[in-house]
Amino acid sequence: MKFHRRHVLALPLALLARPLGAAPRPEVERDVIVTWYRLILELVRHTATYSPPVASRAFAYIGITAHEALASGNPALRSLAGQLNGLATLPARTPGDHDEACVLHAALAASARNFFSNTGPTGQRAMGAMTERMAGKAMDGIASDVVARSTAHGEAIAAHILQWSLSDGGAVIENMGFPASYTPGTNPQDWVPTSLVRQQQAPLLPDWGTVRPFAMPTGDACSLPAPPAYSEDPASPFFLAAKEVYDTVTNLTDEQRLIARFWSDDPMLSPTPPGHWIAIVLDIADRDALPADRISEILATLGIAMADAFIGCWAAKFEYDLLRPITYIRRHIDPKFEPLLNTPPFPEYPSGHSTQSGAAATVLTAAFGEDFAFDDHTHEDEGLPVRSFASFWAAAEEAGISRLYGGIHFRFGIDQGLVQGRCIGAYAAGLATRA
Amino acid sequence: MMLRAALLLVASPALADPVIPVFTNETATSGITTAYQGEWEFMVGGGVSTFDCSGDGFPEAFISGGADASALYLNRSTKGGPLTFAKADAAFPAGITGAYPLDIDSDGTLDLVTLRVGPDLLLRGLGDCRFEDATAAWGFAGGDAWSTAFAATWEKGQSWPTLAIGTYIDRKEEAFPWGSCTDNHLFRPDGEGYGPPAPLTPSFCALSMIFTDWNRTGQPALRVSNDREYYKAGREQLWHLDPGQPPREYTEKEGWKRLRIWGMGIASADITLDGYPDFFLTSMADNKFQTLATPEPGTKPVYSDLAFARGITAHRPYMGDDLKPSTAWHPQFADVNNDGRLDLFVAKGNVAKMPDFAAADPNNLLLQNEDGTFTEAGDKAGVASVKIGRGAQVVDFNLDGALDLVVVNRWEGAEIWRGDASLAGAWVQVRLDHPGPNRNAIGAVIEVRRGEVVERHEITSGGGHMSGSVGWLHFGLGATDAAEMRVIWPDGSEGPWLTLPARGFYTLSPGAEPAIWQP
Repeated sequence: MKFHRRHVLALPLALLARPLGAAPRPEVERDVIVTWYRLILELVRHTATYSPPVASRAFAYIGITAHEALASGNPALRSLAGQLNGLATLPARTPGDHDEACVLHAALAASARNFFSNTGPTGQRAMGAMTERMAGKAMDGIASDVVARSTAHGEAIAAHILQWSLSDGGAVIENMGFPASYTPGTNPQDWVPTSLVRQQQAPLLPDWGTVRPFAMPTGDACSLPAPPAYSEDPASPFFLAAKEVYDTVTNLTDEQRLIARFWSDDPMLSPTPPGHWIAIVLDIADRDALPADRISEILATLGIAMADAFIGCWAAKFEYDLLRPITYIRRHIDPKFEPLLNTPPFPEYPSGHSTQSGAAATVLTAAFGEDFAFDDHTHEDEGLPVRSFASFWAAAEEAGISRLYGGIHFRFGIDQGLVQGRCIGAYAAGLATRA
Repeated sequence: MMLRAALLLVASPALADPVIPVFTNETATSGITTAYQGEWEFMVGGGVSTFDCSGDGFPEAFISGGADASALYLNRSTKGGPLTFAKADAAFPAGITGAYPLDIDSDGTLDLVTLRVGPDLLLRGLGDCRFEDATAAWGFAGGDAWSTAFAATWEKGQSWPTLAIGTYIDRKEEAFPWGSCTDNHLFRPDGEGYGPPAPLTPSFCALSMIFTDWNRTGQPALRVSNDREYYKAGREQLWHLDPGQPPREYTEKEGWKRLRIWGMGIASADITLDGYPDFFLTSMADNKFQTLATPEPGTKPVYSDLAFARGITAHRPYMGDDLKPSTAWHPQFADVNNDGRLDLFVAKGNVAKMPDFAAADPNNLLLQNEDGTFTEAGDKAGVASVKIGRGAQVVDFNLDGALDLVVVNRWEGAEIWRGDASLAGAWVQVRLDHPGPNRNAIGAVIEVRRGEVVERHEITSGGGHMSGSVGWLHFGLGATDAAEMRVIWPDGSEGPWLTLPARGFYTLSPGAEPAIWQP
């Protein structure tokens, strides 16, 4: 089901139209989590610090919050405490009845407030309105003492996760993630700025590879081999990789252009690449009417996988510090080369889209199975068509190759990114979310 | 010739630093007290318009009050004296985000287009700075939107102007405002008034508009700068406005590249001296400065961004400890030091409570160097206010030849600075008196010849950040003692080259000798 602004408005109204108290609680629980996540996707887009790595971190913590909120009251679920780096045992529920929708709503509302405290006045206003709207929905027909108990517990879970998050090294983002100054390397293969934006004369988040990972033991747990040896020899693998980018961009088909734009997921113009995968899950959750506990455990593991992917990817990017195709091509092939997409302001190797898509495909395949077909509506609001995929890996591979079509990655960066993503995603897929 | 001159200019080394004008903040004694008030629905807007409605030649200032009442300030300054104003008795409704002066009915008295959160109003000037609501009489459908952009042009053969009004978010969408941009509209004349407006859809939360003959075909197009914060599938826009045809958006196949910024204001001028208008677009963090890639008549709308190369990204505060990205609103090119080169003023200010952006965000005054780059001088010039700026006008309030400055602030009173009368550079000021319809010659071009270079100045109504001006047009002359200029009138007729002695005011009309005017 396509979901956008109209759905956010229509769903609660539709449910409110039912006879008082008639909405089944599982439906309400699903509505709470899906609707909050729809808003969170917009907040990611409209909060200036939310570059893809930062967004992935928030998706991980918020997903874990949702899962833990439900796991604390469901013996079939297993807490991630003790499985994730540094996550201590979470607060237990106090005696008395709890309502799962109220717990979820309180936890997600508090989590959104925490992770988007720096969003602008419109986001703050929207969070306030959403809190009121979803509280009314979750609490409708529930005894006041249960509401109070459930709200307190949801907020306690969110507070515990927030406290844990503060020590990971990624909590404070200055200047939208760009250092105030940066001296590029002087070797011919070193990354240099490619943008005419002043802020982007330094690379985005050069220390992100040192952020504490969630499920993988260290940021370099899935390290990569070095890229092909740098060479300006036209017969060298490196030159040929650049030539492939040049030839591809020069002869793009309409389908390739569409694919490049579909997966572009630019920060502040989209929910970012990790948000794209979250949107895919939300569409599936609506389509298949998944229960809230299933949605939350998938969102948690998906968030963890993508957050770890960005940490691992960034560790490699700044280890190898490789120049972008635009730099090499303009120097050695065609000084007037213009890629289809804006080149992101950080080193090339490996492709972040590929790493995080590989990680996402790994956990989603583990959750839903091989050959799980789905439709991707993420950018329908942006006027881009729905794309259909036969499996999560088919989508991940398309996301990867889209960066070649866009002219911003070498094929070897894409291939190795997918390899790295599969490795990193396996850690998240190996987490036990059920008893 | 112009292109060669432009290339020589860019290629030449930087010479001496430009003269820094010293502005004097006269807010406290000016009599101007209006602040732009209101909460979420007034987070954008805050325009100021300047125009002479008293007939004494000195420009008045209309300052938008947002949720509170707006105010018209009558200019009581004397030539070269302190900037002093008296608040007019005229009452204006609350909810005004900005206003533009325009002689809609061409009766020789300026009217006022007021943009509002709520129905927009057309106020007919009655003379002596009195106005009456002519919205209904002129058949103008003011709607009930959050209006945030305006531009006007006289289409060929029309005696009334075509108006474009841009709007912002559907203000009823509290929980999910993104993607709720309401329709912009084009109001074409129908006799002595207006018929039903045509939607300018798709609309993407416009914060500035301007009609411009950007490729010198004689057929203006409508440029729209949009706020990407709220649109879906949006972009910066350029609209065909062919006579008698519905407006039609330029496409990527026509060369118009997809650009998505937090578009907040447009300033246009021929900075590159290639004979075609360049466009400075304000945004958050980096701003854009676009110049035509191939400046030829009828060329495609392919623009290059020279903001970085020219030193006018103005992306973060240049003083103080707050080095987060900036938020830019009203931009305006003007020669503030009378050296013969256009400079750039940019009003700055946080949207409000956006912690990822600078809270103490000083206004920019970027002085153009001889090599075409710009040097920041806002602090040294004394205009680096860190109040929450929005609209502004750079205009000569006391008619001494030194440009003054007024800036509207959110939640605090507007500020006004008197320009530097000690500047050595010469100047000339002209106003256009066009008989019949379009009395202020919107769409005309003033050409100024400086040696081998001819600068083109397009006369427009609109742009900026909900701020505009009608009246004296100021040209710095540097060390020269006369201006060589001519007017190409809206119908395309070319006036003769004129030699206007410096430090004078002249009224120019088609087929008439320049009329000297003295304050």
